[in-house]
Amino acid sequence: MRARHVFAITSLVFLGVLAISPAKNALRPYRSLQQQFRKLGATRAHSLKEALRYEGQSVAIRQIWLPRLDGRVDRCATCHLGAADPVMAQAPEPFRLHPATAHTPSEFDRFGCTSCHGGQGPATSLEEAHGIAEDAGPPMLPREQIEAGCGRCHSGETVDEAPVLSRGRAVMTRFGCYACHLVRGHEDFRSEAPPLTTIALKTGAAWLRQWLKNPKTVDPNTTMPSFDLTDAEIDELSHALFGRTPPQELAAAVAAAEREGPGDPAAGKKIFSEARCISCHTVEGKGHGTAPELSKVATAATRGWLLAFVRDPHAFNPRTRMPQYGFSPSESRDVVAYLEDELRDFDAPKDILLPLRVNRTLAEKGEKAFRARGCFACHAGTGATVAERFGPDLNGVGDKKARSLDFGKREDLPRTTPAWLGAKLANPRSFAQGLKMPSFDLPPDDVRAVVTALLALGAQPAPEAYRSAERQPPGVIPGGELGRLFDRYRCLSCHQIGDRGGDISTAPLTHEGSKVRREWLTSYLLVSYSIRPIIEERMPIFRMSRADAELLAGAITSFYVDPAIPQDPFAGHPDSDRDIGEGERLYTSLGCRACHIVGAAGGYYGPPLTDTQSRLQPGWVFAWLKGPQKWRADVRCPDYGLTDTDALRLTAYLETLKAPAETVARGKS
Amino acid sequence: MRTPTVAALSGWLRDTSVYRSIVRHGVEDTNLNRSLVVLENLFLHVHPVKVREKTLRLGHTFWLGGITLACTGILFATGILLMFYYHPSVPQAYQDMKELQFVVDNGLFLRNLHRWGAHLMVFAAFAHMLRVFYHRAYRPPRQFNWVVGVVLLLATLGLSYTGYLLPWDQLAFWGVSVGTNMVRAAPWIGEPFRFLLLGGHVVSENALLRFYVLHCVVLPVTLILLVSVHIWRVRKDGGVQGPPEDVP
Amino acid sequence: MSGLPPIAVVESNDPLETPRRVALVHPDIRPAVRRSEERMVMTFPHLIVREIILFQVVTIALSIAALLFDAPLQGIANTTETPNPAKAPWYFLGLQELLHYFPPVVAGVLLPGLVVIALVVIPYARVNLTAGPLWTGRGPRALLGVAAAILAVAAFAAVFDCWPVVVPTLAVGAAMLAARGGERGGGTRRAFARVTLPEWIMTWFVIVASVLTIIGTFFRGPGWSFVWPWTTFRTW
Repeated sequence: MRARHVFAITSLVFLGVLAISPAKNALRPYRSLQQQFRKLGATRAHSLKEALRYEGQSVAIRQIWLPRLDGRVDRCATCHLGAADPVMAQAPEPFRLHPATAHTPSEFDRFGCTSCHGGQGPATSLEEAHGIAEDAGPPMLPREQIEAGCGRCHSGETVDEAPVLSRGRAVMTRFGCYACHLVRGHEDFRSEAPPLTTIALKTGAAWLRQWLKNPKTVDPNTTMPSFDLTDAEIDELSHALFGRTPPQELAAAVAAAEREGPGDPAAGKKIFSEARCISCHTVEGKGHGTAPELSKVATAATRGWLLAFVRDPHAFNPRTRMPQYGFSPSESRDVVAYLEDELRDFDAPKDILLPLRVNRTLAEKGEKAFRARGCFACHAGTGATVAERFGPDLNGVGDKKARSLDFGKREDLPRTTPAWLGAKLANPRSFAQGLKMPSFDLPPDDVRAVVTALLALGAQPAPEAYRSAERQPPGVIPGGELGRLFDRYRCLSCHQIGDRGGDISTAPLTHEGSKVRREWLTSYLLVSYSIRPIIEERMPIFRMSRADAELLAGAITSFYVDPAIPQDPFAGHPDSDRDIGEGERLYTSLGCRACHIVGAAGGYYGPPLTDTQSRLQPGWVFAWLKGPQKWRADVRCPDYGLTDTDALRLTAYLETLKAPAETVARGKS
Repeated sequence: MRTPTVAALSGWLRDTSVYRSIVRHGVEDTNLNRSLVVLENLFLHVHPVKVREKTLRLGHTFWLGGITLACTGILFATGILLMFYYHPSVPQAYQDMKELQFVVDNGLFLRNLHRWGAHLMVFAAFAHMLRVFYHRAYRPPRQFNWVVGVVLLLATLGLSYTGYLLPWDQLAFWGVSVGTNMVRAAPWIGEPFRFLLLGGHVVSENALLRFYVLHCVVLPVTLILLVSVHIWRVRKDGGVQGPPEDVP
Repeated sequence: MSGLPPIAVVESNDPLETPRRVALVHPDIRPAVRRSEERMVMTFPHLIVREIILFQVVTIALSIAALLFDAPLQGIANTTETPNPAKAPWYFLGLQELLHYFPPVVAGVLLPGLVVIALVVIPYARVNLTAGPLWTGRGPRALLGVAAAILAVAAFAAVFDCWPVVVPTLAVGAAMLAARGGERGGGTRRAFARVTLPEWIMTWFVIVASVLTIIGTFFRGPGWSFVWPWTTFRTW
C-alpha cells in the first residue's frame, strides 16, 4: 500500500528533523570551550587538589548579574573562563587572565564586562556577544576606543588612567563642540569666541576676507573651523559684521587709544616677556598655542584696538581666557609699540586694515547667513542665551546603531559607529551635499580621542550607584571681591581647581591653602618664578597691586584648604618624631637629592627645597610624603610608603630649610 | 522459553485489561474494527466511518484546510512552550526573546517554528478560502460554514497581529503602531476602539498585556470553538467539497 | 351541530371549480446526502494516515524553515526612534499601501469593511443572479451595467491616482467584456465565458490585493516613496 510507505518515510524524516535542533543545542561552541578549559586548568594547576577542582567543573552558562547596573547580565565568563583566574595568565584566548586595571580583577562582580567593553552581555555565542551578528545588541568597543567605557561612569573632564578619553574631552571643550551640540553636564557651556560687535574697530575688510576663507591659514592656533564659505557668502558676512554697531564706550576707548603717542618697543619687549604672553599665545609657533599666534597680530588689528584690548580685554570679550594685566598707560603703549614694530606681516597689502563701506542689502543677507551657518552658536552676543542648540543632541550618540547612521556617499567606511564618527570629525561634509558641520581639521590622534569621548555618551546616564565620585572635589569659585580677582586674573585659564580649569599650569590650586604659606604666596603673586627649575616659566607677572596680591593670597590660603591635611602634623605624636637628625638621614637614604636641591646640590627635576620653611606648610609636607600620588596622580615623586614617624621626621628636617636672604628680599621688593 | 518478538509483545500489550479499557476496538483488521476506531474516538469521530475515495486526491482540496489546522496544532504546541518563558512586561518581554535565543534549550527553534508557522497559517487560510470560493463550495447548504470560515480568517489575522507585538522589538512596536493608527480613521468608533484595544492612547505596556491576553486566551479559545463548529459542519454537509464538477 | 349546512362535495376535474394544490416547492436549504455510486473507502486507515502524513509534512517543512531562517528580532522598542518607513505585518501592507492613496476613512475603514461584508454576503446573494456564467441569458442592459461599474471603480481609483487599482480593474474588466459571447469563441474566451459574477469580483479582488501587498512589501522605502526591492536605504 503506497500511503503506508509514504507514512513510514515521513515518520522517519519527521523524527530526524525534530532531532536536529536538540543536536545543535548539544554542540554549542561554549560547551566544547568549557571542556577545553577544564583540561587546560588541570595542566596549569599548581596542586592536585586544584587540578581536580578544574576537572570537576560542570559545563554550564556562567553569568554575572548586576541588579544595580540596569539589571545587566553578562555571560562573557561562559567562554572567557579564566578572566579572573591568576592561573590563566598568558593562557590562550578566550581563557586568558584579564589585564590588571583599577577595577579588575578585583571588581568583576561589581562591573561585569559589558559596562566597560560594550557588546551584548546575555549572549552565549561569539557573533552575538561581540555584536558582530546582524541585529545583535550593541557591538563591542574597538580597542582603540576602549576608554569610552570608562567615560560612561567617569563623567569628569579628566579621568585618571584614561588619557585618550581625557584628551578627547579636552579637545571637545577647547573646540567648543558643546556650543552647537547638547551634551549632558555641559548644558551651560558658552563658547569663548568673541561676540563680533567690534570687527569694524578691529580689522579691515581684506583681513576679514582672508580669515573667513580659512581661519587656520591665518592663525594655526585658532579653534574656529572652516566653513568652506563661497565668495558671495564671505562678502555678505563681511558686510554684516562691519555693519554692526560697536558699543559706544569701546568705540570711544579705541578712538582715544588711536590718538595716543608712540611707546617704547624695547621696553615693550621686556614687558611682553615678563607678562609670559607665550604661556598661552605663540610667536612663530613658539609658546603654548591655546591662544592666537601673535607674529602677525599688528596686521590683523589696528593699533587703537590692540591698545584698548590689552588694557581691558574683558570689555571686548567677557569670556576670553586672557587675564587683565595691571599695565600702566605707558606700559601698555610700550607693549603695543613692540607688537606694531616686530609682530606684523611685512608682506601684507597696505589696505589690509581698511574698513568696508557697508551695503545694507548685503549686510542683511549676511546676517541671515550668520544664522543659517550657525555662526551665532559660538559668537553669541553677550547676554544672548543659546536656547536651542544648532547641531543635534549628542547624548546617546555612543549607543547609536551603525544602521541608523547615514553613511551617504562614504562607501569606503566600515559600517560601524566609531568609523562613522571618525569620518564625521575628519571630514564632516563628505557624506552628502549640504551638511552643516564645519571642518575642524583635527589631527588623527585628536579625532580618535574625540571619538572615544563621544562613544562614552550613553543615552542614559550611568546608574546612581555607579556614577564615579570623582577624586577631585568640585571646583568652587567664590563670589564677591575674591571672585572678581579670580575673574580679572583668569586663574582658571591655566590652573585647575577641583574638576575645573585649564591645563597650562602644572600646579592645581585645589589644596593650595593647605600647601603654601600666605606670605610666600603674596610675594609669589607679585613676582612669580618657576618653582621647578626644569619647567619653563609660565606664571605671568600680572603687575597686580600689593592689595590685590594680599587679598588673593589671604583668600586662597583660607579658602582652598583640605580638611584631611593637618595644620600641625606633630600634634599628638611623641617628641621623638621631631628628630631632625633622623629626618636628614632619611632624606639622604631615600635619595631625595636626585630630584631636589637642598643647599647647593641636588637634582633639577623636582622643586628645590631650599626655602621649604618659608614656602610650604608642615602639614602639607607630611601629607605629601605619605603619598604624593594622592595629590597629583601623574607626579613622579615615589611613594615610599613611609610610616607616620618617618614622614614626620622628614617633615621636621625639611621645615628647618630656610631660603638664603636674597630670595626672601626679592619677594619683598 | 519463547523469544519475545515485537509482534508478540504488542499482542500481549493489546490483550491487557488496561489497554482494553482504553481502546475498545478489536485487534483484527476488519471493517468493523476500522469503523470502531473512528466511532469510538472523540477526536476522530468528526469523520464519518467511510469517505468518498476521490476526496483523498490532492486536487480535490489541496489539503489547504488541513494545512491550516496542522499549523494551528503546531502553533498551540510551540505557543504553550513559549508561554513558559515569556513575561508580558516592558522591557522583560524583549529580554525574554534574547533569553530564548541565548539560554533556553531550543528556544530559538521554538520561536522560529512559531513565527513561520504563523505566517504559513495566515497564508494557508487565505488560500483555503480562495480554493473554497473557486470550487463554489460556499453555496447552499454551506453558506453558514462559509461565514464561520470568514470569522476564522479574521481570528487568524487577529492572532497573528496580536502575536506580532509580543517580542516588543522595533519591528513589533512600529508595526502595531502603524496598524492601530489605521483604526483611528473609523468615524466615531475608531478612537474609542483603539483606546480599548491598546489600553491607552499609544502602544505601551498596557497594550502589550492586552495583546498578550488576546493572543493567549481570548482568540485561541474563539478559534477552538469556531474550528469545532467549522469541521463539524463540514461533516454534516456531506464532507469536503471538491471541484464544482462534483455537483450536477 | 344540526344548524350547520351539509358540506357539499363537488367532484370535478375543472381546476377553476375546485382549486387544488399541486405542489409545494421549498428552496434547497437542508443537507441532502445524495445517493451515489461513488467508491467509498474506510476513514481508518485511508484518511487518517493521510492526515497524519499531512501533519508530519507541514511540521517537517516548518522545522526546516525554522532551522534555516531565524525569526527577525530588531532592537528593543524605542518610541523615539521611528523607522522610516514603518511597515505593518505583510498581510496589512496592502491596506497600508491603500492608505497612501485614499483618505484614511476610505482606505482604513470603508474598503476593508466592504470586503468583509462582501465575503460574508457572498453565499446569501441571490442564487439566480450569481449561479450561472455572467453573460448567460443577459441582454445589453447587463452589459451596460457591468461596463459602467468597471469604469466607475476605475475612475474612482484614478481620482486618487491609485494606479495599482486602476490597471488591474481595467484588465479584469476587459476580460469580463471579452467573455461576452465567448461560448462560441475558442480557448481562453470560452473559459472566460463560464466564469460567474462573484468569481469575476473575487478574481479582481485577489489581483488588486496581491498587487498592493507586493508593492507595499517590496517597493516602498523612506517616506513611502517608490524604491526597487534591491535598493538599500536607512530604516531610521
